Amino acid sequence: MQFDYLLRKVFFAVITLIVVIVFNFFLFRILPGDPVKLLFRNPRLTREAQELIRVQFGLDKPVWLNIERLSAGDIPGALDSQFTAYIHNLLQGKLGISFTNRQDVGEVLSERVWRTVLLVFSGELLAIVMGVVVGLVAAWKRGTAIDSAALFIGLLTWALPTFFLGIILLILARGILPTGGMVTPGLAEEGTLEYWIDVGRHLILPSLTLAVVSASGYMLIMRSSVVEVLSEAYILTAKAKGLSNARILFSHALKNAMLPMITIIALTLGYVVGGAIQVETVFSWPGIGRLIYDSVAKQDYPVLQGAFLLLAVSVILANLTADILYSVFDPRVKVT
Amino acid sequence: MRSKSKKFVVAMLIFAMLGLGIVVNAQDATTTLRIGTTYMIDTLGPGSGYYGYDIRGLFYETLVEAADNNNVEPGLAESWTVSDDGLTWTFKIREGVTFSDGTPLTAADAAWSINWIIENQVVSMVSYLAFVESAEAPDATTLIMNLSEPVSNMISSKLLYVYILPPHIWEGKTAEEIAEFNEPESTIGAGPYHLVEHQPDEYMILEANDNYWRGQPPVDQIIYQQYSTEDALVQALAAGEIDLAKVLPTSGVQTLEQTENVQVIKTTGLNFLQLSMNVSEDGTQPASMRDPQVRLAIDHAIDREQIVTVGYFGLAEPAEILFPPAMAQWRNTDIQIVPFDIAEANRILDEAGYADTDGDGIREDADGNPLEYRLAGPDSDAYYPRILEIISDGLSQIGISALPYTQSTESLTVLQVDYDYDMILWDWGIDADPHFLTSVFTCAEMADGGWNDTGYCNPEYDALFQTQATATSDEQRRDALWKIQQMIFDDRPWIILVYPQAISGYRSDRFTFDPNLPNALLKWGLFTGFSIVQ
Repeated sequence: MQFDYLLRKVFFAVITLIVVIVFNFFLFRILPGDPVKLLFRNPRLTREAQELIRVQFGLDKPVWLNIERLSAGDIPGALDSQFTAYIHNLLQGKLGISFTNRQDVGEVLSERVWRTVLLVFSGELLAIVMGVVVGLVAAWKRGTAIDSAALFIGLLTWALPTFFLGIILLILARGILPTGGMVTPGLAEEGTLEYWIDVGRHLILPSLTLAVVSASGYMLIMRSSVVEVLSEAYILTAKAKGLSNARILFSHALKNAMLPMITIIALTLGYVVGGAIQVETVFSWPGIGRLIYDSVAKQDYPVLQGAFLLLAVSVILANLTADILYSVFDPRVKVT
Repeated sequence: MRSKSKKFVVAMLIFAMLGLGIVVNAQDATTTLRIGTTYMIDTLGPGSGYYGYDIRGLFYETLVEAADNNNVEPGLAESWTVSDDGLTWTFKIREGVTFSDGTPLTAADAAWSINWIIENQVVSMVSYLAFVESAEAPDATTLIMNLSEPVSNMISSKLLYVYILPPHIWEGKTAEEIAEFNEPESTIGAGPYHLVEHQPDEYMILEANDNYWRGQPPVDQIIYQQYSTEDALVQALAAGEIDLAKVLPTSGVQTLEQTENVQVIKTTGLNFLQLSMNVSEDGTQPASMRDPQVRLAIDHAIDREQIVTVGYFGLAEPAEILFPPAMAQWRNTDIQIVPFDIAEANRILDEAGYADTDGDGIREDADGNPLEYRLAGPDSDAYYPRILEIISDGLSQIGISALPYTQSTESLTVLQVDYDYDMILWDWGIDADPHFLTSVFTCAEMADGGWNDTGYCNPEYDALFQTQATATSDEQRRDALWKIQQMIFDDRPWIILVYPQAISGYRSDRFTFDPNLPNALLKWGLFTGFSIVQ
């Protein structure tokens, strides 16, 4: 039974992935504009040179099917398109070459992914800890001034635009913490203690920004979840048994209230790879989010396709993990 | 006791983290120039790279060198002569020059580079060698180039972008391999700096080439650091994290001028703000847009002073002429500009027969079609909507309805290519040499992938363009270019609005730069008017 559930979930994950792969390709080609033209809106590029670049990147081929050749009965010729090249390369594990800097997309992504994970993971971890603690306290003290204050501050930071908070922090910390980037160039050899301390200094502002704007989400969910649990009959029973407040809160309430949190946390971790576009842009953090931002403007299809695939895979995996964890933590979720 | 010592350790760690940066920055004796930018370079290799001219100029040498504005200085070529028919160029190549890896550079390498670019159709450089048939080196210091047609801007423009490369790095590579070759060795040239480390989109570290022919480069190390936004660049300069930013936003000028030890440089440069008017025969614009009198009236109704004040915080000059003052050598100073004059604009439209027949405040043409236009601009900066608003206000006072809106640069480009617009606001950055700018209005550029954004096509203009392209004397070329400017001014496919100032800034507690820096390559700036503050 458990195995069936698992199998079905994996099956749906695979189907989703295939849909994403196809969708991913067409999504960027629906956008108006010619990537070569936009990339090289450069006075020093002649029409002949533009044509050369088009051929080099295979952009002279039809997007998905060569209709002319198909009507002539030339099936293999008709299939010689950008789409088949994309699928062919993908099956070989190749994500293509960036239009703008001619780097291998797989390499670009793997270089950047850990930086984004570092940033978003540390930011979200801080947010989760703050959210859970404040949410728990607010629920326990519900209706009091502490609860109101927590709600007020939570809603305020929830409504605060990320880039706004980021720029304010950046100006406030000017001269104390670095204004951008991940390292001070030329300061230290990669991997040394000095290097990591430098990375740490660069990490403080962006992860703090991220934590402040996302903590309230966790806090609000945690609070309502605990409030709900606290009104259950078994809490009353526990109180009647004379258990201490701490015991009731931690062994009885928290355990059950954590269920919705597990879903939220697992889903968030799926987005960790996608990065935080706004935070990465404000603080010039060289991660996936900024890569996506830059590549959209330049219509760098191969990079966008690669980044979106990475994002989709991580979200699908996180969903799958959430489903599995749920079936472990909550015995009610098994067969449906 | 134990917990106390733990707290102490944590406090020390935090202290160390905050303090370390300062300690380390002060330690070394090598001089470093840290440059902040929002865009460094696209690819390392010159075979496929376009952007990052400042950086490429530090890696590679060219036969002639761009100085400030229109000036060109001898580079690898000490001197040159051209035959009377303009078809044979002879250059005397400097002796004792070496590439940054130590191999000597001779005229044979220069001839090889030129032939190699032509043979392999190296996309980033081949277009500058149009009409060059071949190059040869009869001896170690003589380079001869043979042309099929005279080229008027060979020195002032074309050769500024043809890098002389080391054959031993590039020989034997196919066209595709040339385009894909982006290893650090691809940056080996005879320039003043060579690449040490490159983190794409993050930073580049360059070190001085001790054998550079002009002498020891003025700083030992140059670090480029890339920031995502111009706001961050302003903050980084104010904080002293960088020493120089060559391109800064006008919105940051006030902050920086109030910051101690920051010097802001403002100059009128090679750029302008312009309104493209759709005059194409097969565009989607109302027919009245093709009437030169309507475009003249629009010109009269634009309040340029207000655009300068509101759009640029005063950091711009009202403009009318296609060539900005920085192109003084070619600029037509005889053109009689049209003043901001609503009454005159109304009079012109009345006379041309555009009357408001239905009393709705908007004029109609003879067929009863209202003078209603789409007025578009890019959404990439906050000042565009403000400027569009000013233009729209002016037009509403002369019975023209123009609804302003902004769109992404990409979408606007698409509309423009199909001549599916009425008026679009654009910023232009141009070359000091007028060849490219004037080519934009030729009929040939209307072809797919061309640059003609208005559909302006005039055989008389094309003839003038041809004359300036193949002129064998400056006087002949200037004559054609003056007529070109007058023609564009009279026909108004573009209405030039303002010349915005180019803004740079540097840390005056660390370095001094020549005030012409914003309009010149960094290489020129390092060897002219640059010094280190002790």
